[in-house]
Amino acid sequence: MSVQGAGDNRIVYEDVSKFYGEVLGVNRVTLSVPPGITGLVGPNGSGKTTLMNLTAGLLRPTRGAISVLGQTPDHPEEMFRLVGYATQYDAFPPGLTGFQFIESFLRVHGYGRVEAEELTWKAIERVNLVEAAGRKVAGYSKGMRQRIKLAQAIAHRPSVLILDEPLNGLDPMARAEVIALFRELSAGGLHVLVSSHILHEVDLISDQVVLIHGGYVVAEGEIGGVRDEMEEQHPAQVLIRCDQPSLLASRVFLHDHVVEARLLEDGGGLLVRTRDADRFYLLLNEVVIDAGLTVETVRPTDADVNAVYEYLISNGGKS
Amino acid sequence: MSDLATPTVSAPPAARRLPWGQMLSQLQAVVRLELRKNFFGRRGIGIWLLGLSPVLIPLIRFIKIGSLQNEPAATATEFFSFLYQIYALRVALFLTCVAVFGNMVRREVLDRTLHYYFLTPVRREVLVVAKYLTGVIVTVPLFVLSTLAAFFLSYLPHQGVQEFLFHGPGLGHLGSYLLVTVLACIGYGGVFLLFGSLFRSPAIPALAVMAWEGIHFLLPPLLKKISVIHYLQSLCPVPMSEGPFAILADAPSPWLSIPGLILLTAVLVAVSAWRIRGMEVSYEEE
Repeated sequence: MSVQGAGDNRIVYEDVSKFYGEVLGVNRVTLSVPPGITGLVGPNGSGKTTLMNLTAGLLRPTRGAISVLGQTPDHPEEMFRLVGYATQYDAFPPGLTGFQFIESFLRVHGYGRVEAEELTWKAIERVNLVEAAGRKVAGYSKGMRQRIKLAQAIAHRPSVLILDEPLNGLDPMARAEVIALFRELSAGGLHVLVSSHILHEVDLISDQVVLIHGGYVVAEGEIGGVRDEMEEQHPAQVLIRCDQPSLLASRVFLHDHVVEARLLEDGGGLLVRTRDADRFYLLLNEVVIDAGLTVETVRPTDADVNAVYEYLISNGGKS
Repeated sequence: MSDLATPTVSAPPAARRLPWGQMLSQLQAVVRLELRKNFFGRRGIGIWLLGLSPVLIPLIRFIKIGSLQNEPAATATEFFSFLYQIYALRVALFLTCVAVFGNMVRREVLDRTLHYYFLTPVRREVLVVAKYLTGVIVTVPLFVLSTLAAFFLSYLPHQGVQEFLFHGPGLGHLGSYLLVTVLACIGYGGVFLLFGSLFRSPAIPALAVMAWEGIHFLLPPLLKKISVIHYLQSLCPVPMSEGPFAILADAPSPWLSIPGLILLTAVLVAVSAWRIRGMEVSYEEE
């Protein structure tokens, strides 16, 4: 995600900062987000919502510039045909049913009555709320409110979908459905920018991640790539369960990229730390074939967003 | 599977229309939505009651006293002039306009729903004008109806009503009161729409304006000119006694009052639109 090559098919942030008085929202964000699902990851108060609100034009940057597929919020007539945003605010216009809520704002978009109704039903079907469409939103459960917000954000068929903590309040079944919907939308060429403070959720959904902490972007890119860049400071950990862990340990420890090989307490495997995971996997293949080991499991233990985030934060944001 | 799963990036038909046509359809959509959510539900009850409250006093008078056949229509003229200028205009219409126009933007911020509008491809200037027009659409018919009903209820018990209405100045008086009503809704609407976009609590500056308008009769001629009531009062057909301490000033000409109020309103709405154009949505600060 570099700024080079930024064009009309990307969301581009150029040295963007936002201050609320003296309080930092985000600082010096420079990114170029390609199509696909981009996870915005960070704890509460890290600047995720500020960055999303800046992207959608609800906030103006104190410094820098943002363009969404070549459009800026200064021209809402063009930009907001491209952008759909389900915010974190759990609030709805009073007195409206789910159907009226979506249909009314489609009319504000400029759609005629028939087309607006058609698009409204399609969006409501998409989030499985057809039966509740005629009920007042005020009577919806938290999960239903999340889904109707999502339906409102996708109803006008945007090219960029911004979702702030979209899985909050959803039961496991609804989560699975919504995640599947994100994937379908992304497969159709959409930019889906999704925030969450629950790291494994983002890990599950995202094609790439932006890790944000204290208003600063501490890492960005495809999660595996980000992890690879950290191998020098934080060697990759690989758990291997096999029938001869001591033999395996002695063989792999001969190589300089292997920093540590520790036997598990139960004697059924070992944990290896290596500065070059790719070379280690090649080495492991060789040893397994050569020594005739029976391997039950090979699993990286710190290659997920959670581990990457922990390393970055403990490092003061210097990867 | 719905075709939303494979979205097409085609703009809605509105994008292909001329901008004026597009803005007009968006304006209509905002007006419809505003009416639906703010005035045709439980939220609107207080406004309707306040708007119709000027009818209550002549209604009670009519029910309690019944026929006043011995009293001439001139008594009703004095009664209605007092009722209209003291209560209907300065209290009921004023407070209704505060509630309607002052909350147009402010309530959306408190409800945390303003972003829904800001995320649509509607120019914020169009949004502000649509919200202002919604207020006018609500207040003008409400107070025209209320003034009409109060007027007829005030005259009904008196003798010579038909003569006064159809062969005397009655209908002319009524026309003037209705004109003042419409101008008051338009003018106060502009003032309170601006307050709603400038202040976190528009009720406080509105009360200051109410006090200013209330002591209007004590103000020197120059200061009288910077109050809405000065121009509205000059258009009322029956001048009202303001007591022994009132400082007299020449009434402005209708040719100044009417276009002046409309022009002032246009400026106020334009300033509100400019404020909203640069507005950020940050509900956490509220």
